[in-house]
Amino acid sequence: MKTNFLKYCLMAASLSIVPFASAFAADCVHKVGGLAPLSAPGSVVGGEAMRDAMLLAERDVNAAGGVLGCDLEVVITDTEGLPEKATAMMEKLITQDGVVAVGGGYHSSVGVASKDVANARGIPVVFAETWNDTITGDKQKYIFRIAPLSSWASGVIWQFAAQAPGVKKVAIVTENTDYGIPAAKECEVGLGTKGIDSVTFGVDIGTQDFAGIVERVKAENPDYIIVLLTGEAGFNFTQQAADAGTGPQDIMFHANQAGLESKAYWENVPDGNLAFMARIGVPETMYSESALKFARDYKAKTGKSGVESFALEAYDSIGILAQAINEAGSTNGDAIVSALENISYDGVLGRIYFPYGSKKDPSADGKGDEWWHQWPDVAITMVQYQKEGEPSNTMTIVYPDAYKTGEPEFVD
Amino acid sequence: MEFAPIFWWTTLWLLVWGIVGSIGTRRIYLAKDLDTSNAVLMGALIGASLGPIGLLFLWLKTPEASKKLIILPSLLTVGILMTAFALADPENNCVSNSSFVLSQITNGLIIGIIYGLMALGLTLIFSILGVVSFSHGEFYMIGGMITYYVTVVWFPGISPIAGILIACLATFILGALFERLFLTPMYDGRIERPVEYGILVTFGLAFTLMYFVQAVAGSNPVKAKRFFDFPRIRFPSKEDPWLIKTSRGNMELFDTVSISNPRFIAAVISILVLLGLLFFLYKTWTGKALRAVSQDREAAAIAGINPHRMNMLAFAMGGMIAALSGATLVQAFSWLPHVGLIPAMRSFVIVVLGGLGSLPGAFFGGIIIGLVEAAGTGCVPDPQKASSYIPAYGMIVLTLTLLLRPTGLMGRRFASGTHGKL
Repeated sequence: MKTNFLKYCLMAASLSIVPFASAFAADCVHKVGGLAPLSAPGSVVGGEAMRDAMLLAERDVNAAGGVLGCDLEVVITDTEGLPEKATAMMEKLITQDGVVAVGGGYHSSVGVASKDVANARGIPVVFAETWNDTITGDKQKYIFRIAPLSSWASGVIWQFAAQAPGVKKVAIVTENTDYGIPAAKECEVGLGTKGIDSVTFGVDIGTQDFAGIVERVKAENPDYIIVLLTGEAGFNFTQQAADAGTGPQDIMFHANQAGLESKAYWENVPDGNLAFMARIGVPETMYSESALKFARDYKAKTGKSGVESFALEAYDSIGILAQAINEAGSTNGDAIVSALENISYDGVLGRIYFPYGSKKDPSADGKGDEWWHQWPDVAITMVQYQKEGEPSNTMTIVYPDAYKTGEPEFVD
Repeated sequence: MEFAPIFWWTTLWLLVWGIVGSIGTRRIYLAKDLDTSNAVLMGALIGASLGPIGLLFLWLKTPEASKKLIILPSLLTVGILMTAFALADPENNCVSNSSFVLSQITNGLIIGIIYGLMALGLTLIFSILGVVSFSHGEFYMIGGMITYYVTVVWFPGISPIAGILIACLATFILGALFERLFLTPMYDGRIERPVEYGILVTFGLAFTLMYFVQAVAGSNPVKAKRFFDFPRIRFPSKEDPWLIKTSRGNMELFDTVSISNPRFIAAVISILVLLGLLFFLYKTWTGKALRAVSQDREAAAIAGINPHRMNMLAFAMGGMIAALSGATLVQAFSWLPHVGLIPAMRSFVIVVLGGLGSLPGAFFGGIIIGLVEAAGTGCVPDPQKASSYIPAYGMIVLTLTLLLRPTGLMGRRFASGTHGKL
């Protein structure tokens, strides 16, 4: 009886300790938010890749000792690619989850809408894949970006189109978002400087049926098509254009970079061979040791044959925040911003740093406001699928010359 | 637009005389104690197409609003509008490029037929149960998802027809089970507010299905392979196949109209299903019983028809028809758990346009919406806006129709409304 009593006392005591034990563990976790579109109308292909990459970053940071002696926890949140959802999710991350910084972010509209919330609350954000120039162009104290600027990335797209043989007219199909509208405008203006006509078709995000638009594009008789539609809308347009005889095998065709997830691309766009895409980051053959390790882990985790640029960016957005928190020695937003402004982070994308900020205004070097807290060395290449069913890591790099691995195949 | 004022003045003329016609005709018919249910529409159309002269004749004669007096002025109105557009923008593809026009009409008809089929399911449910099923889009999604899994993941190489049949069977059972478990409380007075209950419970089903599929299948877009490749045809001759030329994924007619394989196959399956459905509804006892219940539940019950069984059949069939639309389109569009949202919204527009509870109305409403969307996408001069406003084109037609005929094009004044009760 006595033994039983003692046993019950011990059990009760041990049970009572459990919540305290978990409370001690929870005290030593620093949370960082991770924005990703995990539901439509957002680009789920991109969102899932970013989520997997950010969770790998969490694992690697913790394996290397965590942040400030504690574990790092990445709180992934679904933005659905919608600005209103992004704002709400940013509020939730900060006020309910208690994150000390935020990484990730795929759609520009998400970045544009959510940055003000984070900035107002003094939470540093390193946006991974949001291109819209105004995200950094507002020169907000807490907002950083490692993705390329829209004007810059669009420049690569239109410059490649402009140097393709016999291009006199370009049709641009874009989404009516903070990414699509300025990107299309920049392409129009850029092509115009080369004497190339362009016509832009705007569609709402989530559009499925493009038959009417495809016919209209065909009627314009373009020499080159640029698709600035993210997610499955990009897949739908490309395949429907191919069905109508104006796809990547019929006309020079720039598809959206969601196609870098080759399994999804080939399933959704079986007639998408010879499409060009923009890819962020250096080719796999030029990967650093850390990038190669990440690529191995990422492929093992996801079963994919290649690593998408947005996965690389998402991984680095978390890694750089972890290093900044450690260097700041605190989770205070101002301290993290100061650390980020002085950081030199060896990431999977390369050495990341922010030359312009409170110490040096971009105008000092004659640059526009959009270069504020902007990583300036993003590598952007144009790649092309040249074999049906080809994995994205073997795609031919066709532009610029510095990274070229083969000649582009231009269709007549 | 080169001569835009021509178009805008004509539109203004049509609108002004249309409004004068609708208001004036209603007043005159009321003053003479005549039926005004179709007179407003007739007055608006005659006013728009024939102006003050037409209205003068109408108001003096006050004829009964026959189909002829509605269809002819409506065609004339469309003709006037098209002529004004052609004069205003002679360079527009819709004016100067006949092959483009034919392609747009074909695309509009094809997608309209598929819309119509989907909306038919929704209107079938409404006409019998008096419930607007907010889970219609999710049945569409499930139909496509099951067909994808059957034909691509579980049994690669199996005939797509088998995939479609399995999707139909699964969704029919799902619909029947749902109706038995969740909608029967509406019929026996257990629910105080059956309309709201029907909306909420089908909303609940929609979210459950959407997030269940997302949890099980993930959110990555998937797509079934083309169901059937076109055989290689060059007719009348290999050298000059001006009549028909096909590749695996495309068909070209008269050297002008281009039809993609997945849409063509989807439309053909939809037409076959529509014919089968018409046969079922008009030639079989069960189909006649369904129609009888949709027209008068009490009279149908007196005639020995079990309305409760018809409720179950209608909901199951309605869901299955939506699923069938999805099953035919999973080879044309990328498929996601949220893919049903836009088609569901479009179906609501179509059934209201066609007339709530009207089966032919749903079908013709689908075709009208398909054609109007194709016309808007193809003809609006600014390409940036033309494709951005796709959902708005249908809404404009719907709004105008409801203003002139609140019951929709073919709706009855007291369509259903008994919410499954006797």
